[in-house]
Amino acid sequence: MEPKTLPSSRPNVVIGLLGTALDSGLGAERWERWRPSVALAQHEDLLIDRFELLAGDSHETLARQVAGDVARVSPETEVRLRRLDVADPWDFEEVFAALLDFADGAAFDPEAEDYLVHITTGTHVAQICLFLLTEARYFPARLLQTAPPRRRRGAGPGRYSIIDLDLSKYDAIAARFGTERAADTSFLKSGIETRNAAFNRLIDDIEKVAIRTRAPVLLSGPTGAGKSRLARRIYELKRRREQVTGPFVEINCATLRGDGAMSALFGHRRGAFTGAVEDRGGLLRAADGGMLFLDEIGELGTDEQAMILRAVEEKRFLPVGADLEVESDFQLIAGSNRDLRVEVARGRFREDLLARLALWTFRLPGLAERREDIAPNLDYELAAHAAATGRRVTFTAEARSAYLRFATAPEATWRANFRDLAASLTRMATFADDGRIRREDVEAEIDRLRAAWRNETEDPDRDILDDVLGAAAAAALDLFERMQLAPVLRVCRASASLSAAGRTLFAASRARKARPNDADRLRKYLLRFGLDWQAVRDEGAPPPA
Amino acid sequence: MGDLVRIDGARGEGGGQILRTALALSAITGRPLELENIRAKRAKPGLMRQHLTALRAAAEISGAEVSGARIGATSIGFRPGPVRAGDYHFAVGTAGSATLVAQTVLPALLGATAPSRLVLEGGTHNPASPPFEFLARAFLPLLRRMGAEVDARLVHRGFYPAGGGRFELDVRPPARLAPLRLLDRGAPAAHEAEAVIAHLPDGIAARELEVVAERLGWPEARRTVVRDTTTPGPGNVLLLTLAFEAVSDVVTGFGMKGIGAESLASKAATQAERYLASPAAVGVHLADQLLLPMALGGAGAFTTLRPSRHTRTNIEVIQRFLEIPIRLEEVGRDLWQIEIGG
Repeated sequence: MEPKTLPSSRPNVVIGLLGTALDSGLGAERWERWRPSVALAQHEDLLIDRFELLAGDSHETLARQVAGDVARVSPETEVRLRRLDVADPWDFEEVFAALLDFADGAAFDPEAEDYLVHITTGTHVAQICLFLLTEARYFPARLLQTAPPRRRRGAGPGRYSIIDLDLSKYDAIAARFGTERAADTSFLKSGIETRNAAFNRLIDDIEKVAIRTRAPVLLSGPTGAGKSRLARRIYELKRRREQVTGPFVEINCATLRGDGAMSALFGHRRGAFTGAVEDRGGLLRAADGGMLFLDEIGELGTDEQAMILRAVEEKRFLPVGADLEVESDFQLIAGSNRDLRVEVARGRFREDLLARLALWTFRLPGLAERREDIAPNLDYELAAHAAATGRRVTFTAEARSAYLRFATAPEATWRANFRDLAASLTRMATFADDGRIRREDVEAEIDRLRAAWRNETEDPDRDILDDVLGAAAAAALDLFERMQLAPVLRVCRASASLSAAGRTLFAASRARKARPNDADRLRKYLLRFGLDWQAVRDEGAPPPA
Repeated sequence: MGDLVRIDGARGEGGGQILRTALALSAITGRPLELENIRAKRAKPGLMRQHLTALRAAAEISGAEVSGARIGATSIGFRPGPVRAGDYHFAVGTAGSATLVAQTVLPALLGATAPSRLVLEGGTHNPASPPFEFLARAFLPLLRRMGAEVDARLVHRGFYPAGGGRFELDVRPPARLAPLRLLDRGAPAAHEAEAVIAHLPDGIAARELEVVAERLGWPEARRTVVRDTTTPGPGNVLLLTLAFEAVSDVVTGFGMKGIGAESLASKAATQAERYLASPAAVGVHLADQLLLPMALGGAGAFTTLRPSRHTRTNIEVIQRFLEIPIRLEEVGRDLWQIEIGG
């Protein structure tokens, strides 16, 4: 590498370790060998005003010899022997400490002198330590690297290169770091070229935090803002970096209800309760060495919250019905669409758990808050659709601009954010003839979206579903389920008992059966949503009269 | 103080010789020097350490103000005061040639009003520069004939790369350098071959001398192995002293890593043969060195071999400082006459 001439006229000060092997030799024949510390002083185009030669006590004879030889070939150079005693030159900690001590005591004056740290002599450990200390500016220096003459029998002092870790010249290296980092942030964004500055800053921050910490991270933001996808990408990034070895375990806490929640999270011992016919490891155990994503953590009961907190802090917890704690070391990423501070105030979320999560809290904006990212996300969804279906679909230019015009207008509320966008695109792609989404497809879709967003606000099912399941769990339901569950719940609330509700709901099939089991069928159906009779009846408002 | 002299270092031979000659002349004439494009034609242009040493030496003897003196500088300013006689000590790094530094300061000290003593340390036997014996046996005897008493003592040899050489010069300047005409070298005297060997197998020297015997036919009494045990590093040089009634010249072969003893001896022999075959009084290197003192003396002439680019560049630089005619004339086969002044 360049540069060969030193632009500065300040005195050059070389700091280098005595090479106990490379610089060795006491007889006249030593001059026939390439000795880095001496050769350094033989370059016609490098004038060293002072040479701080670091050597241990046990090498004093050699150090004096080398110092004398340097002085002989370079009368311009003042050689100062510095004691650097290291018992084991292969011991990182010791070498680092010794060099750091030297740097601390050196009283560098970078305004008055140019420092060059010679990294060719010494053990590899010493070279690495010198590099690190120079990079961290403990040595306010450039690195000086030397090499023997190219030809084996060649004479001369060989070559040297000066490497300025600060210089823009090494932008190529920096750019590569930058590219890798960009790749990481792009990775977190699933390769989507997002344009929203705030969102991009957020992702930069998350990338740093993701790589540098194992502390819990809280991703907040509305439903469909991409919390789950981002959590998975963080995990993938850490796995690429070999920072996690275990799996990614994901659960939406809104789907965990009642006794089942404890068991699902923490596992249980066989016979811990009715139906516990065998041991169950639980999600926390499964996430050992990996990452646990608890979406909608605000939906967890306070008992579960307490256990989670302990599991995060102690890396151990007690499975249901067990006598002994089990261990699991995982990174927790929590998602929430509720403001957990409000939940704390209402007494529904533990303050200590929030404090634990609050260190790294990132709020993902909804799609409506980053409309400039709709276009790139549209391209991403198109590509994803093509990958999933094997059918490539494109917009006509006219159709694309019409769709984006609507999508970025205030009228488009994007209530479920990316979920809405993906669904919208899926519909258009499905309707599109010969893989082209045309103006009329877009207009039809816009009508559908308008209707959906209008209907949602007037959705007669929404209140009861939100009330019984919680908003997050309700929003996670498919339309298919909503259409069925909402009337079921209304019947339940209108009935005096489970059996009564069952009779109403299964009236038609009941007539054909010898032994009706309506109540059991209803109980099992509700259980699929984590609900029991009590939950249906107690939650929220009293049943209509 | 005279007019400023501005010299383009890229001209002619384009190396360090321009710098050394120009510094000497600037110090002697008192005319400030601006030198640009220093060593423009070299792989690493600009000032190297040995040039800085020469520059500092010239500045020291003339009390010059110097600007731009740093490694890699391609232009410098040199504003000399009067040359001061005195005791000087110059150490040259990288086993660089101490004789080149001597050649930079010696002509100026010859113009001083009092004697000087010079101690020079570094390389005394270096490739690409004249060895100490060239100064002592070829150059200084001619200066003496021009009236300048300069005595040279070799204390230690210094070989590349270890250096560690030292020699001393006692300089008693004349009132004025006398003209010298050196057209005929006279009858041959005792030629001599010395193979100097330091910290290396003697066989190397013996092989070199065998080549000399074979090529030049010199008798054994005129072939000597010189063992040097005082110089710090290994080294080998073959010195062929070609002695004539009126003048001596010294031809050198330098032992270097990777160059065979026979090869370097053979090259030296070829150089000697060329000089011996010609009736010229002065060899190529001596011609370079004689120009300046002869020009300072105001007149002189010598016959020589075909002038090198070095020589022609030297003449150009001299004529930038001194208004003196210098004529080159081809007078025979590989025989030229250089007439200075008159």
